[in-house]
Amino acid sequence: MSSNSLKSIFFFGCLIIVTGLNLTPLAQAQDSDETVVNQSDISENEETTNESLSESIDAQFGIIVGNMAKVLFWEPVPAVPIPLIVLILCCGSLFFTIYHKWLNIRGFKHAIDITRGRYDNPNDPGEISHFQALTSALSATVGLGNIAGVAVAIHTGGPGAVIWMMLIGLLGMTAKFNECTLAMVYRKVRPDGTVDGGPMHYLEIGLQERGFPFPVARAFGLIFALFCIGGSFGGGNMFQANQATSAVRGMLGDIAGIDWVFGSVLAFLVGLVIIGGIKRIGQVTEKIIPLMCGIYVLAGLVILVIHIKQVPDAAVLIVRSCVSPEAAYGGFIGVLVQGIRRAVFSNEAGVGSAAIAHAAAKTDEPVREGLVAMLGPFIDTVVICTMTALVVIVSGAYNTPEAGQGVEMTRWAFSETLSWFPTILNISVFLFAYSTMISWSYYGEKAWQYIFGTTKQAVIVYRIIFLGFIILGAVASLDNVIEFSDLMILSMAFPNIIGGVILAPRVKDLLKDYWRRYKNNEFVVYD
Amino acid sequence: MALHVSTVVVPIDFSIASADAIETALEIIDSPSQLHLIHVMLPLETMSPGVLLGDITDVSRTEKVTTALKKLAYDQGADGAHLAVTVGTPGLEIADYAKRHEADLILIPSHGYHGMKRLFLGSVAERVLRHAPCRVLVLRRTDNE
Repeated sequence: MSSNSLKSIFFFGCLIIVTGLNLTPLAQAQDSDETVVNQSDISENEETTNESLSESIDAQFGIIVGNMAKVLFWEPVPAVPIPLIVLILCCGSLFFTIYHKWLNIRGFKHAIDITRGRYDNPNDPGEISHFQALTSALSATVGLGNIAGVAVAIHTGGPGAVIWMMLIGLLGMTAKFNECTLAMVYRKVRPDGTVDGGPMHYLEIGLQERGFPFPVARAFGLIFALFCIGGSFGGGNMFQANQATSAVRGMLGDIAGIDWVFGSVLAFLVGLVIIGGIKRIGQVTEKIIPLMCGIYVLAGLVILVIHIKQVPDAAVLIVRSCVSPEAAYGGFIGVLVQGIRRAVFSNEAGVGSAAIAHAAAKTDEPVREGLVAMLGPFIDTVVICTMTALVVIVSGAYNTPEAGQGVEMTRWAFSETLSWFPTILNISVFLFAYSTMISWSYYGEKAWQYIFGTTKQAVIVYRIIFLGFIILGAVASLDNVIEFSDLMILSMAFPNIIGGVILAPRVKDLLKDYWRRYKNNEFVVYD
Repeated sequence: MALHVSTVVVPIDFSIASADAIETALEIIDSPSQLHLIHVMLPLETMSPGVLLGDITDVSRTEKVTTALKKLAYDQGADGAHLAVTVGTPGLEIADYAKRHEADLILIPSHGYHGMKRLFLGSVAERVLRHAPCRVLVLRRTDNE
């Protein structure tokens, strides 16, 4: 066995030991419960065994998440309950937008032209076209965050959370531009034509260029990579598996053990691609995703047209409740925090994940790919999330208790008007979840390789753990899964935004030079 | 005792050190036809954007690497050297190739990473040493990596 796989096993051994220490009191409590149960002589059938196993896994998982949340969601100002990371994301996105002089607005048209392929030179280094890079990044971000996450935001933050989601979506565009441009600048193009890039690389190399000593730069890269691995198990995996299972349960009814069965089926299907190497399944899924997005938005538009009379009221409700929210949603700060958390969870701007996919684009102009990446948060949050939000609000699902929460609330909202739509929604949910899991397994693996090396053994250890988390996600409860997923994905922004701000002057210089050449019509147009 | 070799394998990772290794190998052998340059590619990641959406395959990768190997051999005055591209774990593939071609010597540059990099990245040279069927000459790094 190679030293790298030993290191991977050692790393996870430590994690399990730490986890075990946390779980000891719970295990003891369960032991004593068992004694009581035995005394009362109750025989357990298979169903309750299944249930109690799911519950105990979920409870143990909840304890780990609770302890991590105390550190990662630390609120620096006691009077204002905003977690530090939400503050960093908010200020970071605003900084990039002002620093790059509102590029999200002035660069929008040019970004669309690039994505259309006007400047695509097939001989440029890289793996995929600008459009394909955007599709790839979107297949990771458009997922249950857009369908279920929005419902969660409205459920916990009220309708006003939508405004903050949209706002952070718009500001996040420039954060995404900054990180994807950096990923292009510092990517490595291997002699076989494949590309290796992402925040861990630009943090390590870029920070050293700015005068930071190697250990500091490497620490930034390592911290990012660690959270990215966590993110690939959380939002990129468990949240998707959890909500896809929830959708199946909603469709088939609450059959005992269905979460185990469906979780295993999902893990098997993902395993076919990431371990079995059957790329055809992944290729087909990736190509269907834009179509599914189109169908989803179209169905949303149909519902809004049918309910056109309620739309102005919904808009007023959203605007009014973003500044004068009800106490039930945690006041103004509660709404703001929920909006930002769900928006960033959905579009991943500032988080740095998409930079790994965008680094694969065929171009020798880093700024150009950054501009394409900028469209991601717009499509993801400003278009798709807003669509979901409006449907949830005009249908009245958000204040109907029987609508449920998460993906169930969204399904209820759509089925109110289009009774046949839940079937299509369930297919979308499955495909979005599936493609998000495959894309995120790539992000996580890149981060894993950064720490443990590229050997076959190291890689296979990651892939097996990834599949295990799919099953865990299917059986755990939504609250714990959301908390863990948020913790990991949002925490990636710590090193990424801080590093991104330090490296922003480099991006600014490149942008200035690019924009001058663009305005002077110096670029070759290929269509 | 003089070192008599008729077949030398030089693993190539396209670093400056690889070019230096070719130069050293040419000092040992009589003709470039005794030289085997091998590059080991990592296994294709089936979930990478280039595979799912682009046109990256093992065939396309092999073509690109072969072209790069040809250019490197030409630039280093080793035109006529045997070129090989394989997929797998570098250390094992190199040792296996040397076995199949009954090589007398593997000449490999060491990047000589220290500290954190050494701890995490390990060493291809080390693995070649452990598995090689013949003598191995490890060249010390000359740069400041």
